[in-house]
Amino acid sequence: MRITCPCCGERALDEFAYYGDASVKRPDIASPTAMADFVAYSFDRVNAAGPHRELWYHSAGCHLWLVVTRNVANHEILNVEPARDVARATQQLPTPGRGSA
Amino acid sequence: MANPTLAAKSAFLGVQSLKHPAFTIEDLSSLTIASITSAKGKSAEVKAAIQTAYGVALPDTPLRVTGNGIAFIWHGPDQWMAIADRGTNNRDIEVELKPVLEGKAAVVDQGDGRAVVRVSGTHVRDVLAKGFAIDLHPSAFKTNSVAITHAAHIGCIIWQIDAAPTYEIAMFRSFADSFMDWLTHSAAEYTGRH
Amino acid sequence: MTTQTNRLPAGGIVDRSRVLRFTFDGIAYDGHPGDTLASALLANGVTLTGRSFKYHRPRGILSAGSEEPNALVELRTGARREANTKATTAEIFEGLESASQNRWPSLRFDVMSVNSLLSPIFVAGFYYKTFMWPAALWEKLYEPAIRRAAGLGRASDSADPDTYEKATAHCDVLVIGGGPAGLSAALTAARSGARVILADENFQLGGRAIDDASEIDGQPAAKWVASAEAELSKLPDVRVMRRTTVFGAYDGGTYGGVERVSDHLASAPAGVPRQRLWKFIAKRVVLAAGATERPLVFGNNDRPGVMLAGAVRTYVNRYGVKPGHRAVVFANNDYAASTVQALAKAGVEVVALVDSRTGPSNEVTAIARAANTRLISGGVITTVKGGHAVKGVVVRTADGRSISLTCDLVAMSGGWNPNIQISTHLGGKPKWDDALSSFVPGALPPGMTVAGAASGALGLGDAITTGSAAGASGSAPVAKAVNESTAITPLWRVNDCSGKSFVDMQNDVASGDIELSEREGFRSVEHLKRYTTLGMATDQGKTANVNALAIMAELTKKSIPDTGMTLARPPYTPVAIGALAGHHRDKDFKPSRRPPSYAWSKEQGAMFVETGLWLRPSYYPRAGERDWLETVTREVNTVRNAVGIVDVSTLGKLDVQGADAALFLDRVYMNGMKTIPVGKCRYGGMLREDGILMDDGTVARLAENHYFITTTTANAVKVSQHMELCHQWLWPELDVQMISATEQWAQYAIAGPKSRDLLRNIVDKEFDISDAGFPYLAVGGITVCGGIKARLFRLSFSGERAYELGVPARYGDALIRALMKAGEEFGVCAYGSEALAVMRIEKGHISGPELNGTTTAKDVGLGGMVSTKKDFVGRMLLGRPGLVDADRPSLVGLRPVDRSERLRSGAHFVARDKQVTAANDDGYMTSVAYSPSNGHWIGLGLLKRGAERTGEIIRACDPVRNIETLVEVVSPCFVDAEGEKVRG
Repeated sequence: MRITCPCCGERALDEFAYYGDASVKRPDIASPTAMADFVAYSFDRVNAAGPHRELWYHSAGCHLWLVVTRNVANHEILNVEPARDVARATQQLPTPGRGSA
Repeated sequence: MANPTLAAKSAFLGVQSLKHPAFTIEDLSSLTIASITSAKGKSAEVKAAIQTAYGVALPDTPLRVTGNGIAFIWHGPDQWMAIADRGTNNRDIEVELKPVLEGKAAVVDQGDGRAVVRVSGTHVRDVLAKGFAIDLHPSAFKTNSVAITHAAHIGCIIWQIDAAPTYEIAMFRSFADSFMDWLTHSAAEYTGRH
Repeated sequence: MTTQTNRLPAGGIVDRSRVLRFTFDGIAYDGHPGDTLASALLANGVTLTGRSFKYHRPRGILSAGSEEPNALVELRTGARREANTKATTAEIFEGLESASQNRWPSLRFDVMSVNSLLSPIFVAGFYYKTFMWPAALWEKLYEPAIRRAAGLGRASDSADPDTYEKATAHCDVLVIGGGPAGLSAALTAARSGARVILADENFQLGGRAIDDASEIDGQPAAKWVASAEAELSKLPDVRVMRRTTVFGAYDGGTYGGVERVSDHLASAPAGVPRQRLWKFIAKRVVLAAGATERPLVFGNNDRPGVMLAGAVRTYVNRYGVKPGHRAVVFANNDYAASTVQALAKAGVEVVALVDSRTGPSNEVTAIARAANTRLISGGVITTVKGGHAVKGVVVRTADGRSISLTCDLVAMSGGWNPNIQISTHLGGKPKWDDALSSFVPGALPPGMTVAGAASGALGLGDAITTGSAAGASGSAPVAKAVNESTAITPLWRVNDCSGKSFVDMQNDVASGDIELSEREGFRSVEHLKRYTTLGMATDQGKTANVNALAIMAELTKKSIPDTGMTLARPPYTPVAIGALAGHHRDKDFKPSRRPPSYAWSKEQGAMFVETGLWLRPSYYPRAGERDWLETVTREVNTVRNAVGIVDVSTLGKLDVQGADAALFLDRVYMNGMKTIPVGKCRYGGMLREDGILMDDGTVARLAENHYFITTTTANAVKVSQHMELCHQWLWPELDVQMISATEQWAQYAIAGPKSRDLLRNIVDKEFDISDAGFPYLAVGGITVCGGIKARLFRLSFSGERAYELGVPARYGDALIRALMKAGEEFGVCAYGSEALAVMRIEKGHISGPELNGTTTAKDVGLGGMVSTKKDFVGRMLLGRPGLVDADRPSLVGLRPVDRSERLRSGAHFVARDKQVTAANDDGYMTSVAYSPSNGHWIGLGLLKRGAERTGEIIRACDPVRNIETLVEVVSPCFVDAEGEKVRG
């Protein structure tokens, strides 16, 4: 399998490390359902055959975390985006405890 | 008691050079290197400061740019490596860059953390293909192209400095001898030495 | 005088001007450059080459290529001996030694051929049926006996003396196969300016055009092939790779190949590998791998002298060898009739052409007439006579009569199977083609086109046309050639034969085994394969699979496509493990990382230990010391009483800067990092999001927005990746810059009551390192040895007054020498990871065995550090019920009740009054050491409800070593519990 890193270009699989599901968002610790939310965030997965958004790390390259949309049924890579851009675009909650900076 | 003076030592404990028309290796152990990482939202300011100080435009893609006695190597989004020779007056690029980029970027000394070799020769691409999986063909990788990748399980930054082609390869210092073992083994087909 | 009795006086493309001498089973023979071992043996009249896998039946040469199931031999001797090599692909060289295999005492008289008489018990599934009970006999009796009797060649038991390599090549077009279709594709692709790689497993390009001595553009195929190769070799971006098998297709246009660089030489030249494993990265691929001829299934069709018809033509046309003197050709198709012509031209008498079809074409009839060969239409061979060699055949005619014919060669053809394997490696299902009576490629991997015989276009003209179009779309054919007639009426097996009718010759599976499999209910092709082992040999059933499933289809009265086809998997042909390893074996198995003190430590005679990839000094033995324990004890005592130095450069180091660096670290660590004063360090712990302890280390605040953190050696990469995830994915809004600085600093811990005194000899005078100026947990930038920039940390892992001194790594070698010299007056010693481990156990500090991916901060006694005032990774799930269960094992110290007893890590704890059962398991000993400071062995362990059990005597049971020790539960800190020494 080859992944096209948005920075480095197309590279072989062995340059990347797989992490997991990119469709889950870290919950707010202040929520009354925080424990259940964190359990779901950490452990509950759908594992459907078909396109899957997942986090990969370009460990042997530019050290960018990537959101890779991959069809897990045939390894076809549908999209690759820097995780940072995805996170910024989807960030809704204000981050608790943000400092003065 | 008088303080002893410390002598610098190359990262390559074994083979440090190889000279053969098919393949040459040169240990570049006198480099000063600093990493530049832009502070959040400050990459334009970083580029402007470097432009003013060195007259070069920092690249946003995997490229190398050179100025007077200094090169900047792309090292990821909003990150670069500044490279120069320490020379006789022991130039220290970290010390030099910090005031230039104060408040704009993190500047960290990397000169000792990396071992760098320069390789060339008629079979240089054949030798490198035995470890580097990236495409070094002139249509894909040219003078001043940069790639962060790995070779023989060792993380490397490779850039091309001329059309000969001549390449420079940086790796973490502790891997230097393993890298050299692989490199000389891979070159043996053309140099007859191992 | 030549030994080559069956070499034709002329013809073929071997180099007759040179003679190569080789041996087979100790007998010397001659051959020529361009010969395979098989062609050279046939030239010498040798037709018996081995014994079969199960029945030890005599076998000869079936094919002329990599599909060969029978002629498997051992090549070379000694450490280079290689078993199960195909005589049909191995090139001969001067001095080659080869041997038949799977026979004892000799090839002609093989004791194990008695298996053939016992064949009723060696039927399909015999492993499952015969040796069922008692199970204990498997290991002692059945398996050794079966292993001796079965199997094929003997592997060398010496280390492989050859070298191997791996390489990567990128191209626009990868052409797999250098026959007429592949060459045409390479030509059009190359002429269009593409970067092309053409790979062929053979050492000769041209494929069947050479084997059939065809005409292309009105000239002999060999001439056209040579001119095509010459054109390709002139182009800078074309690489023609002979002796290179593309063995597998992988995702993303990646193809695996193995180049046999030196297998055709007596030994590899200096510096040259034996084989090279290639990773081809191709934008487009043309699969032009040709086709493989099918045997016919009839009685004793495995006898030496029964060959594939196409192979017979290859031996005649390409090698100038006649494989026999009197031949019978048996076929179900038109293409095979050309064998009659080739043999007749070579002066071989062709006794009969047995064509199973009742109405052969006019062409076939004409060929037979021209060669004066008897044409037996609608006939079949029911059995082959002869044991070690073909002596004749019995033919059943269309009207049911039996005719005996005398011959020494049977050329058979059941039709052709396109070599579609590579097209199916990614899961593409092949399609059945009725006209061809074979499978052709179906859904293809992205970027692949199939050309020539591999696509089902068996004719030469079609091969050139499809190949030309595949190389660059829309290209006209690069040459002209006619199509041979390939009409076929399938004949999957001959019924009512005498003698076994083999389907899979390498695994000795006969048509009767398929019938048995069907009767016993193993009818799906996947079950058939596993029950009979059909297609599971090293040839992957290249000559067997289609016949087998067609027979199963017949038996189950289903169509062949409904019966299905087993999936081919890489590799197409076997690949040596050495090639897969490449450079990475022995000391180069993986790279090793050398710390800055490596050269000095080697000079001192240090012993090293691998920690991840790092080679760390583990201890420094001195003359007169009897064992490692004595050395380590001396090192510990020196640190506790004077001063010692250890290289801690291997600890992971990260430079963290930015306006939000403090906030960021607060979220990554379980304890607070915002409150560290500038110029101070703090010990910290990091959790995984699931609440488990991930790593520990120190955090130094160099400036308001500048931190320098350390990780354990083993987790450096993992922590860096984790922190990048936190920064890029969880909190991208934070202003943080992180970079690894692990290798920048050569860092030494200087530990012991005299450590400050030693440092005073090194640190430049203007820096105050008094306890007031540089107290416990201080950090600062200093200079040493007359202006060398350095960082000094006052940290302790040993429990003694200690410092860590870092200098730029290029000075690391000089600094250890300077430190040792500066410490001479204090009795300094260097210590390694062993002494470091002893001292941390004495202090109850956790390390890898406790940081094992199952423990929480509370489990290992760090619960007090966990902040309740902030969010951080792991904060919430740290509170899951399972992680706060009072029964959880927690860190305790242990000492033997009998102080002279040794403790063992891994021993499990059981309460004193309980039975030693898994149900009563209370935890285990994680770390042990002989403690010089206590004068006895001590241990750390994770004990159920450990905190409440101080003073209790429990059992430490080591069932592996069969040792049980009574131990007392104590505090995990065995020296200086008040921690006064670190502060001085």
